[in-house]
Amino acid sequence: MAMKGKDCVAIAADRRFGVQAQTVSMDFDKIFEMGPHLYIGLPGLATDVQTVSQRLNFRLKMYELRENRKIKPKTFMSMVSNLLYERRFGPYFVEPVIAGLDPKTFQPFIASMDLIGCPMITDDFVVSGTCSEQMYGMCESLWEPNLEPEDLFETISQALMNAFDRDAVSGWGAVVYIIEKDKVTKRLLKTRMD
Amino acid sequence: MATSMISKNREQAFMSNLTPDWLKTELTTGTTIAAVEFDGGVVIGADSRTTSGAYIANRVTDKLTKITDKIYCCRSGSAADTQAVADVVKYQLNFYQMEMGEEPLVQTAAHTFKELCYDHRDNISAGIIVAGWDKKEGGQVFAVPLGGMVIRQPFAIGGSGSTYLYGYVDSQFKKNMTKEECLPFVANALSLAMNRDGSSGGIIRLAAITKDGVERVNLTGNQLPKFYEDH
Repeated sequence: MAMKGKDCVAIAADRRFGVQAQTVSMDFDKIFEMGPHLYIGLPGLATDVQTVSQRLNFRLKMYELRENRKIKPKTFMSMVSNLLYERRFGPYFVEPVIAGLDPKTFQPFIASMDLIGCPMITDDFVVSGTCSEQMYGMCESLWEPNLEPEDLFETISQALMNAFDRDAVSGWGAVVYIIEKDKVTKRLLKTRMD
Repeated sequence: MATSMISKNREQAFMSNLTPDWLKTELTTGTTIAAVEFDGGVVIGADSRTTSGAYIANRVTDKLTKITDKIYCCRSGSAADTQAVADVVKYQLNFYQMEMGEEPLVQTAAHTFKELCYDHRDNISAGIIVAGWDKKEGGQVFAVPLGGMVIRQPFAIGGSGSTYLYGYVDSQFKKNMTKEECLPFVANALSLAMNRDGSSGGIIRLAAITKDGVERVNLTGNQLPKFYEDH
């Protein structure tokens, strides 16, 4: 999930990699850095998580070479959308969540997408994954506008943890990134491992 | 899944099912359960998660159900089926106790479970471990798995999480353990399964049944045995 705060954004995910009920590993990272202030979270089928992130990285590098500048988050969202819609009738099973700051103005930006690339930009929070309903409930009740980075960290951590504690196939560790103008803080949460 | 914004009529036609999955899926106690005999009684244990598909409907379930004062059962499988069967057995043994004037044997309880589970094997999904103490044989553990067989074992494991434990219990079990050795044996086993099985989790509920009665212990949060490193 991702949330907007005051001049900052946060993006967080669990770390489980499993095959239906069995947990195979607890250190599978699903959040990828696409730029100094641009992160994408890719929940879904693990093989597609890896393929999409690699293909996206390639396209992003080509863009940066041609344009000779860092990509804007909104443009990046359109790039992801295009990549996914190319596979309209045989889609990648990922539902990405994007969080970042504009490279020039440092405006916060969050967006999410369905598996065939329909983009959705919001001003508060976006969620994606098997426990999306639980996450919507937690976010609706905990989020408020203009949270400072420390408060945003607490809010997103609690929202994520309590949501995936009600899902049998999510959890087993969590990672939270707080993206501000001058720094990005990555924290690993201590969670229930069940 | 894909979002849609089509007109009302077509939407109703092919999105006729908007009820969420967790309202339609049967409740199962996905589960890990275990029981072990020692000289003088038994130790039984279970996790506390009930799931409806992937949604955790109850995270503090009590799967250790009392049948008589000295006989308990550990339930796994369909929540409804196991509750119904346990209620029937409890009723029948209560009646038996009034007729015979003495406490029923664990063997009797196990075979009563078996009668129900076997006769209705095509219609129910119930994997049960019956364990308790009686004055004839002391502590006993009987497994009554899916098809309705009964077998007495020195220790038994069951539920979806038990598949992760066969190696562990086979290597750690020793004959003639004391109650103090049995409790961590069961707790560690349950914790390992909860760590890997999606359908098991929550807290560990343990019970020690001896001639003096039943002693219940719950292991929550940081009390759960830990087999992983925080990283």
